[in-house]
Parts: sequence; structure tokens; C-alpha cells
Amino acid sequence: MKQSGRYNPVAVSRRGVRIGIRWLAMVAALLGAVQSAQALPLFNRQTGQNCMACHAGGQFPELTPYGRLFKMTGYTLGQRTAVPLSAMAVVSDSKVANTSKSLSPSTDFFKQSDVILATASVFAGGKITDNIGAFVQVTYNPYAVQNSDGSYSGHSNADNMDLRWADRFVDAQRDLIVGVSLNNNPSVSDPWNTSPAWMQYVPVPSPGSSQFIDGTTPYPGYSSGGNIAGLTTYAFLDRTWYGELGFYGTARGPLSFMTAGIAPRTTLRGLNPYWRLAWNREWGANSLMIGSGGMYARVYQDPSDPTTIDRFLDWSVDAQYQYLLDPHAVTAQLVFATNRHGYPNAQGGQVPAFVDASGNALLPSNFKDRSHLLRAKLSYVYQARYGGSISLFSLGGTTNTANISSGFDPGTMTITADPNATAPSLPVNGNLTGNPGARGGTLEAFWMPVQNIRVGAQYTIYTRYNGASTNYDGFGRNASDNNSLFLYMWMSY
Amino acid sequence: MIRTRFLAPLTAFALVSAVTGCANLERSRDVSNPAVPGAVLAQQVCANCHGAGGSAASPNFPNLASQTGPYLVSQLKYFRSHDRSDPPGYEYMWGLTRSLTDSQIDGLAAYFSASPLGRQPVEGEAGQIAAGKRVFEQGVAANDVPACASCHGSGGLGNSIFPRLAGQHMDYLVKQLQVFQRTEQRSNPTTMPTGEIMKNVAHKLDERQIVEVAAYAQSIGN
Repeated sequence: MKQSGRYNPVAVSRRGVRIGIRWLAMVAALLGAVQSAQALPLFNRQTGQNCMACHAGGQFPELTPYGRLFKMTGYTLGQRTAVPLSAMAVVSDSKVANTSKSLSPSTDFFKQSDVILATASVFAGGKITDNIGAFVQVTYNPYAVQNSDGSYSGHSNADNMDLRWADRFVDAQRDLIVGVSLNNNPSVSDPWNTSPAWMQYVPVPSPGSSQFIDGTTPYPGYSSGGNIAGLTTYAFLDRTWYGELGFYGTARGPLSFMTAGIAPRTTLRGLNPYWRLAWNREWGANSLMIGSGGMYARVYQDPSDPTTIDRFLDWSVDAQYQYLLDPHAVTAQLVFATNRHGYPNAQGGQVPAFVDASGNALLPSNFKDRSHLLRAKLSYVYQARYGGSISLFSLGGTTNTANISSGFDPGTMTITADPNATAPSLPVNGNLTGNPGARGGTLEAFWMPVQNIRVGAQYTIYTRYNGASTNYDGFGRNASDNNSLFLYMWMSY
Repeated sequence: MIRTRFLAPLTAFALVSAVTGCANLERSRDVSNPAVPGAVLAQQVCANCHGAGGSAASPNFPNLASQTGPYLVSQLKYFRSHDRSDPPGYEYMWGLTRSLTDSQIDGLAAYFSASPLGRQPVEGEAGQIAAGKRVFEQGVAANDVPACASCHGSGGLGNSIFPRLAGQHMDYLVKQLQVFQRTEQRSNPTTMPTGEIMKNVAHKLDERQIVEVAAYAQSIGN
């Protein structure tokens, strides 16, 4: 078995050269293919415009004021395309800083430093009529299922779906956009990129080597997940006030296509409210949004047992500032998100199998948990070609012994991963404290050689993970051991 | 299996949409339907960047309100034919104009030329504005630069094919003067002869004068 954690400069440099050559060859081949085909994604073909018209500095999917209006008017601006399809793929390479503190690095950090096809999507939709348009994404995950022999199989499933009707009433006194969205992911209908569905945006690969990259760090999100069906109605008045209200339920019957390929699908109790209010102002090259959104969701753990309901209340306050004046694009984003989680009665007050270092029982588990997340991001793009960003995150929350997945086994009074132990612990992903806390940040630099290819490098740093800075998993793993380098090439066609 | 599950509802959605969603000519954003009046496109499409009535909040986009009709017509046709190829032109305008009819272009020009330009914040500094005023009204005799006012009107209000400059965003004017000065993207002796005139003028201005004259033009009326 290959020893990990031993530094061999010759091997590292040769490997670096090989990876570098592989990336360069891939960039060259793709540039040639894309430029010769002169292909543009679906919405570009519909409007005939450059990506940067709708995406700030061309960095998809972050929207410009114009892009937001394009979305709010139901993707109906432009002209209907003959083939309303687009495709997207991400090729990536992830590297976790320390793989030595693991009992099985090859599985815990599967595909470490390997260039992989991370994910691929097909999009359909765009303008259908003067008032109706759609954004439908189906995504393929090459590492969706692990087979018994350890290999992985790919799988496709419904991703973001947003079918809209919209109208716009303009006269000398007012500008009113109204619309209805049938979608499968709370806030996927939102036009600002501080909303939970859109703030985390470089698609995340599945292999273990990618488990700590920026896309997997704490981002605002709705606890129901994006595997449900909802109908929302919204209005945008005088480009100033935005309001949206809707209800989400289980994607069943004729709406089951919205969760196709996902098993088990999320089952909600009844209809669950979602709301959004935002104030927007545009002056000069600046635009500012300050808003709030939230959702109350009742999610069955076991749809056949009505007593197993998790109750979630998520709400957030968010703000986004943009300065867009060619060739500069600056975006600042700030989100404060809170989550309340009420567990089924039978699950609260349970004493975990782990014990403390003295052999005493741990406290019973909570009936309710709270968490709060602060996330900020600042990005700059020059000439819609060269960009960079810095983001910071801080997640805090209640400590709950139910979250403990590493601890002292009462039989041996050790922290052990032995599956035969009374209370086996989990290296790498284990939580010794029962606290969800995480803190850190990400630095990113990217380059867009052509408007539909983005090549980027991210480095994510952790100062706290699973509620601790050091030994968070009970096996000596520190938060900083999870620091990760992520290289990606994101292409759309 | 997945394909069937996706296709059936989406096809139903498309069919229902096609049947129920007839063309909405009074509020359409369809830039390829010749039946949609220019004024409707102005409100539903152009206003997204150029502002309500053509008064653009962002200096990234020119004000179109109170612009001269003949100039608007000429530029829209240049975008449509790809004769005008400055970056904002092809990034934003080629696609939107590709299917416009002459009649729609006339309608757009009529709408914006009749629309009043609202007052906007002054974008230049006082010193720049004062210096720019001299260039604008008197030209630069030493470099054989004619007064801008000689073609664009004494108040910069434009004259037929010569565009209104009064109140136009300073950043836009600077960038366009640089396009005239450094490229052939807006000038051609045959297809864009007025651009050729501007190219000759812009060649004789230095960077500072470009900024100053743009600052003055933007300040007129604001």
C-alpha cells in the first residue's frame, strides 16, 4: 500500500508536470472545439447576446440587473430557438491537505489529485410563448452510486426546474412584473445570487477528495432540500420592491418528474410556506439589494410513519451589492441565515451510545436545535475574463449529543473505529463535540478564455470543523487538515 | 425511463403553453415577431438596460431619451448589419436587433426621440467640465479640431444624423470617442460616413481632452 504523507519532491514535481500537461491539453482541445463550433448556450442563442449581458462579468450564474429582469419576465425575452437545449460539464481536480489521518485514505479521499469529469447537465427551456418560459436542468453524476466491487456508476436526476408564466405592465407611472413559478427547489426562482439555491454555484463533485472544497462548506440553504414541488407567485414593482410567496409539497403525481431519478424522494407534510421580500435600488453603475427570505417545512423521515416529522424553520437576511461598468464587475454578498430544527418527539431526550472519558453517560439529545450562518463573499472580474474572489463563512449552533459520531466506546473506553465496538467512531467525518460549528474561507482565481469556459482554482481553509479546531473526529484530525485545493474547468455549450 | 418521466409532463407543459399563450402583442418581449410595435419593445426589452423611457441609470448604457430619430435608426441598422462592431455593440446589441424590421426600428426611434430625458447626476468634475466646454464650443484650433457644436448643435441637442450629446453618460462618451480614435469599429467611408468624420476628429484629441469634452457634454441639462 502506498504510503501517504511522505513528501517526495521528485515524485511531486513529476506528478505536477503531468497534471499540468493534462490540464493544458484539455484547455487547448476545448478552446478549439468551442471556437470552431461557435456554439453558445441556450439563453445566448435566444437573445443573441454575450454571457456578460445577463451574468456579472460573465461569471455564470451570477445575474446582472438585466439578467434578473430576464429571469423575472419568465425567460421570454428574445426569440424562440429551434433547438432549446444547452449542455454543461465540469472537469475538476481536488486535493485535501492531509490524507494521512485516515484509516482508509483511498476511500475517504477517493480520486485525490485525479482529474475527473465531476458533473454534467443538460438544460432545456427558454422562451416558449410571450408569457411562458422554462429553465429545466437534468444532471448526471458520474459517481452517484458505489458498487459492491468499489467502482462507481453514474446516474441522472432532475436538477433545478423552473417553469414560469410572467407578464410586465409598463407605463409612464409604473413598471410592474408579475409571475408564477412552478419549481422544485425553494429560491431557485429568486433573481439574486445570495438566495440559497444560487449562492453556492460551482457544481460540486461527489468523490471523497472533494468533500471539503468551497462548494461543500456551509452555505445558506433550505432544510427541505431541492427535491420537492412548489408553486410561487411573485411581483417586482418599479424595479424596487420584490415579493414572492409560495407553497411547497411532495413532488408526486404529475409533478413527480421534478424529482425523477432521485430516490427516495423527499416527502413533506401538506403545503409548506416559502416567502421572500427584497428592496432593490439601482443608481449609476451600482445596484443594491437588501432582503429576507424564509421557509417552514415539515419533512417526513419515514413517510409511512406520521410521527417521524422534522420541523424546520429557515430564514435569512441577505444583501448584494454590484458595481458593473465595463471592464469592471464587482460583487459583494452578505447572508445571515438561521435554522431551527425540531426533531420528532421520540428522537429527543435519547442518550447516545458513546460515553465521556470517565465512562459517564452523555447528556440526552436535544428536542430542538438552532444554527446560524454568516457568509460573505467579494468578487471582482476584469474584462469578463480574469476574476477572483474571497469568501468567509462562520457556522455556529447548539451542541447536540445526537450529532456525536465519534466518542468513547463504553466497552473499551477508547475511541475506536472497530465496527464490532458497541459505539464505533467515524474517522475524518466524525464529530466528537456534537457541535456543527465551522469557520473558514475560500480564495479563488479564475480565467474565462472564452465566454462559455471558466477555468478556476480555489483554496479553502478551515479554522474550525465539526465544532472544533483540533481533533474534531477523535482520531487527531484537525480542521486545517481539511484545507482543500480545487481546480475546475466549467464549460457550457 | 427517466427520459419518459421527464418528457411527458414537459411536452404537456409545452403544448398547454402553445395553446394558451398566444402572442401578447401589447406586452411582448419577442424581438423576432414583426407584429410587435417598436414602442412595446422599447418598454419591454430596451428599458431593461436603457431605462424607462430611455433614461439609463447605469453609465454602462447610453441614454436614448430625446436622441435624434435619424441617429437611432442609423445605429440600430448598423447593429443589425454588424457594420457597427464596438464591443458593447456586438455583446449587447447585435443579437437584439438581428430580426428587427425597418418599421420596428422606425417605431423604436420615434418612441425614444419623443421621450424626455430626465435629469441625472453630473458625472464630471468642475474643472473638466469648464475645459470641455471650450473644446465643445470652440474646438481646438491648434490641432484643427472643429467645435463639437458645429455638428451636434450649440446645446449638444443633436441634429438629424448627428447624435444628441447633451446629458449623455460621460463614461459612454469617453469609450465611444476611444472607439472612434483607435478602431474602425464605428467608421467606414462607404457604410458609416459620419463615423469617418468622427474618427478624424477623435484622432486629434488627446486622452485628457476626451475626458473633458465628455464631462461637459454630460453636464448639459443636468
